[in-house]
Amino acid sequence: MLVIRSEKIRRLLRIALPFAIMPAIVLLLPLGIQSQYYALVSFIMVLLALLLFLAGFERRDLGTRRMILVSVMTALSVLGRLLPLIKPITALTVLSAMYLGPEAGFLVGALSAVLSNFVMGQGPWTPFQMLAWGLIGLFAGLLAKPLQRSPLLLYTYGMLSGVAYSMLLDIWTTVWTYKEFTLHEYAAAISTAVPLTCLYAVSNLLFLIVLRKPIGDKLSRIRKKYGL
Amino acid sequence: MRDFENMNPAAVTVHLLLTACITIFCMEPFLLGISMLCGIAFFVMRNGRKHIGFHIGAIGMPVLFALLNPLWNQHGTTVLFFINQRAYTAEALFYGCVTGIRLCAVLYWFRSFSDLMTSEKLFYLFRYLSPKLALVFSMTVRNLTLFRQQMQKIRLSQRAVGLYREGHLIDDIRGELRIFSILLTWALENGIITANSMAARGYGLGKRTSFTYFRWHAGDFALLICTLLLSGAVICGIAKGVTEWQFYPVCAPALRNLPYFAVLAAYTLLALLPLICEGKEALTWKRLQSEI
Repeated sequence: MLVIRSEKIRRLLRIALPFAIMPAIVLLLPLGIQSQYYALVSFIMVLLALLLFLAGFERRDLGTRRMILVSVMTALSVLGRLLPLIKPITALTVLSAMYLGPEAGFLVGALSAVLSNFVMGQGPWTPFQMLAWGLIGLFAGLLAKPLQRSPLLLYTYGMLSGVAYSMLLDIWTTVWTYKEFTLHEYAAAISTAVPLTCLYAVSNLLFLIVLRKPIGDKLSRIRKKYGL
Repeated sequence: MRDFENMNPAAVTVHLLLTACITIFCMEPFLLGISMLCGIAFFVMRNGRKHIGFHIGAIGMPVLFALLNPLWNQHGTTVLFFINQRAYTAEALFYGCVTGIRLCAVLYWFRSFSDLMTSEKLFYLFRYLSPKLALVFSMTVRNLTLFRQQMQKIRLSQRAVGLYREGHLIDDIRGELRIFSILLTWALENGIITANSMAARGYGLGKRTSFTYFRWHAGDFALLICTLLLSGAVICGIAKGVTEWQFYPVCAPALRNLPYFAVLAAYTLLALLPLICEGKEALTWKRLQSEI
């Protein structure tokens, strides 16, 4: 991360990472590395994916206003994560993505994960959480139009993203506990996490039902008023 | 020379992450033991007798882990006793101990990492990646306290208006939702005002520099180079299978040859680096005091 001060190297990184470094790791994996380093490799891949997205962020012109709104929504969802048991991060990420766009959604998800982990505890799982929440936001942003139109679809998306979040993090649990990845062990990890998955899905649904109208209205009003 | 906390955050991050990652991805009991001892020593050196609760949790949980592993895990040949006709094997107990030590070591290293890495330092690291992102990051951190204060203000004024009944659950929930809604409106408008004032002052027009008080001194470079060399050696050794242990069905330790001891020595040195930095600083302080 240290040398990326100059614009040239940043650009190089944006091209080299997805087209050279990441495929190379995937191809070399079965050749050189034993299965027990799956955990390490998956950790590195997730870090690289995040690095790629965040390095690309600099180039895009998100607009000052949208950028500030991202920081506002992130702060709100971090505050919300301090609630006991049920966490509104997913709901807030999805709602901000719907009205502020896919990139803003990714940022709200990923940044809330890092920031709230200052309280909840940082660890090797932080990049995975960042990626999981970031992707939930990204896809919500891409599906913005249909999600805004139909609440039913939004609720389904919320519940599915709870399940997807849990399954993505279970990949990490599996490689971390067993040092390898087989479908059998992955299934075991998923089945032990069923109560948590249900909790995620239900809390996402509840928060979306409660927050959809007020937050959606406010965000779309701000968008209309200031022409974002 | 400064103590470990005041070294350049980038060097500190690289060191702590490499030390912790090697611990995570290695199953060599002696290496894990060294890692755990150094992690605990570093934590105690920085905190003294504080955080007893963390110690209890961080040491108690692995012990529980070690004792429970044989209940789930039926591998291993040396049966110690039976519980409900399920064998409780020495190998599984040993494996549980090793995993427990690994967990304990990782907990201590990451706790120290969280303590050392204030958001200011993380901001410094983000800055290299993308100045824009670093700005969003630092504004969010500022927003956290701002929103909390604003929430308190809103709550007080809502109470003053008389919108709460004492000890009424439904009323409380509705009140909190109303406070959240007011806070959201305020936060969004406030954000837009901030953005406007930033734009008015010329944000986004040209290239900007940002202030930071972290610099690279000779000591930081020394720490970074030592870290990279030592961890490189350890990772090479681990990748070559020098530290390969067999746990099931019978426990068989790694071959005790020169590379094995070299890996252990390199890792010991790596894990001792923060302690050396802190210790040197403490010694200098003592000496200066005694000379007065």
